[in-house]
Amino acid sequence: MSAIEETLEVGVPVSTAYNQWTQFKSFPRFMSAVTKVEQVRPAVTRWSIGYGPVRGEFAAEIWEQRPDSCLAWRSLGGRPAHGGEVSFDSAPSDRTVVTVRMTITTPGLAGLLTDVSGVVHRVVRRELGNFKEFIEGLGQEVGAWRGSIHNGHVQPVEPEPPRSHVPCWPVG
Amino acid sequence: MRRPPKEEPQEELTTSAPEDWATGVPAVAHALEYSLEQTTVPRVATTLLTMNQVDGIDCPGCAWADPSPGHRHRNEYCENGAKHINDEATSRRITADFFRSHPVSDLAQRSDLWLNQQGRLTEPMVKRAGSDHYEPISWHEAFGLMASELTSLDSPDEAVFYTSGRASNEAAFVLQLLARVFGTNNLPDCSNMCHESSGFALHETLGTGKGTVSLHDIHHADLIFLVGQNPGTNHPRQLSALEQAKLNGARVIAVNTLPEAGLLRFKNPQKPRGVVGRGVEIADQFLHIRSGGDLALFQGLNRMLLEEEDARPGTVLDHDFIRSHTSGFEEFSRHARTIAWEDVLTATGLTRQEIETTRDEVLRSKRVVVCWAMGITQQKHGVPTIREIVNFLLLRGNLGRAGTGASPVRGHSNVQGDRTMGVWEQMPDSFLDALRQEFGFEPPRAHGLDSVRAIRAMREGGIKFFLSLAGNFVTAAPDSTVTEEAMRRCRLTAHISTKLNRSHAICGETALILPTLGRTERDIQTSGEQFVTVENSMSEVHTSYGRLKPASKLLLSEVAILCRLARRALDGKADIPWNRFEEDYGAIRHRISHIIPGFHDFNRRVARPGGIRLPNPVNEGVFATATGKAHFTRNAWQMSRAPEGHLVLQTLRSHDQWNTIPYTRNDRYRGIQGSRRVVLVNPQDIAELDLADGQAVDLVSVWSDDVERRAGGFVVVPYPTTRGCAAAYYPETQVLVPLDSVADISNQPTSKGIVVRLEPVEAKTGSAHAAEDGAVR
Repeated sequence: MSAIEETLEVGVPVSTAYNQWTQFKSFPRFMSAVTKVEQVRPAVTRWSIGYGPVRGEFAAEIWEQRPDSCLAWRSLGGRPAHGGEVSFDSAPSDRTVVTVRMTITTPGLAGLLTDVSGVVHRVVRRELGNFKEFIEGLGQEVGAWRGSIHNGHVQPVEPEPPRSHVPCWPVG
Repeated sequence: MRRPPKEEPQEELTTSAPEDWATGVPAVAHALEYSLEQTTVPRVATTLLTMNQVDGIDCPGCAWADPSPGHRHRNEYCENGAKHINDEATSRRITADFFRSHPVSDLAQRSDLWLNQQGRLTEPMVKRAGSDHYEPISWHEAFGLMASELTSLDSPDEAVFYTSGRASNEAAFVLQLLARVFGTNNLPDCSNMCHESSGFALHETLGTGKGTVSLHDIHHADLIFLVGQNPGTNHPRQLSALEQAKLNGARVIAVNTLPEAGLLRFKNPQKPRGVVGRGVEIADQFLHIRSGGDLALFQGLNRMLLEEEDARPGTVLDHDFIRSHTSGFEEFSRHARTIAWEDVLTATGLTRQEIETTRDEVLRSKRVVVCWAMGITQQKHGVPTIREIVNFLLLRGNLGRAGTGASPVRGHSNVQGDRTMGVWEQMPDSFLDALRQEFGFEPPRAHGLDSVRAIRAMREGGIKFFLSLAGNFVTAAPDSTVTEEAMRRCRLTAHISTKLNRSHAICGETALILPTLGRTERDIQTSGEQFVTVENSMSEVHTSYGRLKPASKLLLSEVAILCRLARRALDGKADIPWNRFEEDYGAIRHRISHIIPGFHDFNRRVARPGGIRLPNPVNEGVFATATGKAHFTRNAWQMSRAPEGHLVLQTLRSHDQWNTIPYTRNDRYRGIQGSRRVVLVNPQDIAELDLADGQAVDLVSVWSDDVERRAGGFVVVPYPTTRGCAAAYYPETQVLVPLDSVADISNQPTSKGIVVRLEPVEAKTGSAHAAEDGAVR
């Protein structure tokens, strides 16, 4: 298992930075290694990534999320397993410190022979830079999800979010 | 292609040991063999290679979800789906000549197997009052007959509009609209007979009637329960999802009265290890439960979890979740602690140690999914059982979280979508108000008849007109003798069908066969080529495009038949553009988008690869119950015991069967060949009841009305069923299920848990065949 930590200060307020980070489907717009993100539901996303010749997919669960504060994820299945936390701390002059902490576990022989953490660290650093460039350039978020997640369970900010307006009558 | 059989096939019953694995290369061979008996190589290639693909034909078989676009195999179907689709794509045709040589009284003596093997219906036919023959009729005259019957009724409630789960969303929406403009909510459907108990239990406890899981959840669960279901035969593609879950490290617990092959091991024919290797073990633990003991099992497990929490506070239950998202925990908890262990052990037939092993599996698992099917829903206490499963999931927060959830596994491709489209006899006012606002008519508010109540009303002479959108109602319904008498009391029965079945032979005074396009066939209307949409068990709504040339020039689509009927029968009632609907199904979807929540922008969104995934509110953190929380419930049960000398019978499908239609008389996985009139009995019960292997018996069910219900000409086959529990094929044993024997709350017929005695009879040469061909029922 290897651990990574990367921090970057961005020139927008915490709520702007956080709100933008909840818009996963927009990540391919500014992240170079992310080709597609499917939001299966608030707590489950499916990521397609490409880095050089490497292509991959994984599903991830967000198991903790607090607006304007942090979110924590872990991968579902897939190799290598990874998880971590993104936190948002306000800094003076309406700026935000974004910190990504991540652990990667490559099981078996592959884990002994390779150390992917160096590569992942470089990718994370670059993508945080991309995020900074994007959100500072726009100056405002493209959308927001203000619900929270605790232990994998979603707590919507409103009693009935629009997405849950679906047929609820008994289905035989 | 082989020619259709002229007579019922004469076969002898042979038996062999049941298989302990499912699928593998034999599944591919059997699928191809059956397909090529039905039609040509190019048509088989077209159906199979477009089946379940993004722009292809949705399998008309089960409602299991497809993998995401980009993750589908080139061959994305199972043996039974392949057989089913080519059963529809068959090159065999039924013409007017066929009906000239087969009077209705002859057809009524034939088995559904034989009727189905005759091929596709090609032109509208009528059996006029007093006649014993179907004869050709023009579509125009057929619609005129139906319109005149409908307009002559004393009340709109004298008409019944039945839907099978094959119908597309568009056809289902138009059917319910037609019925409601006509003035009735009499919209029974096949859901009434399959997962009605799931809908009621989930709606009450979680605020949604639909399952909460997607394939992601199955793939990433730590523990999966398969309760009262047989994936190897009824939802074979579920085995691929289970295989993926197992490879990801999941454990599986199967709960069943029979050790079905598909619960034990799966050889995936798309992978080398499935072709030459042992495949993947499915069940890590098999709970060989007594029929109907599932409620007691989950109550016992729930009690164990509560006691484990007492012993190790704060480590077993998800208190945060229980506190913030549920209600009724304290009352549930008090009630659960009063469950008597001896009752649990008697009801389940399991040992305490087995249940403790299950508990330990649960305690080791952070993510649990429970799948179930008709082994649960068709029990008298089906609704309380599913509520108890919900209790079990709620206790450890196994709902609304990745890798967790409740999964009612549905058996017909659009059974869920038809309900979403409003085919239900009890639709809420919110839906009816939306219909009124969109179309400017006042829909009836009084609840209509479900399947059981419709049969009762028919029997009492209260129903004059019966229209069936696909399906084989007479055979699917319980209490066959009663249902058949009831159907014969109707003045006019009409069936929108692709193939012949028993419901065409057991019909009203006047009867119509309205031949329709199958899902495999190109559907060309005046605005151009059409597609339809369907919704799978995991709430994904997607397109289905027909690919084959239709079986006859005279076929009309289901939508066209309903729209033309509406134009003739509802002239002047409400301003509904039936013409436009027939020309362009997009116009129907456009109206659906105004009425049904979650379908906004339907036409555009459904055209995207993979279609629309309807969110499940539970996964959004929303419980749409009256209190806004999930409900723990207290569920009482009565010990069901067969009196001495009796067994508890459950109905089941064979592997070579789709719903009411057997393709052959074989059941490969269970080692049965040549006959379906077999009753599977535990060898110890055979000895105790003084019966013998191969003995000829009649099955006689016992019910409080003291009416004798008898299914004759069966043969006893020793089988490892749970002690005291027997099994026999559906629909041959539907005759044994009393119409009034229904599940509490859901009113679903109880095709499980039927108390029967086995009466030895003198074996007569050929008696089994006489029974097979429908003469003895």
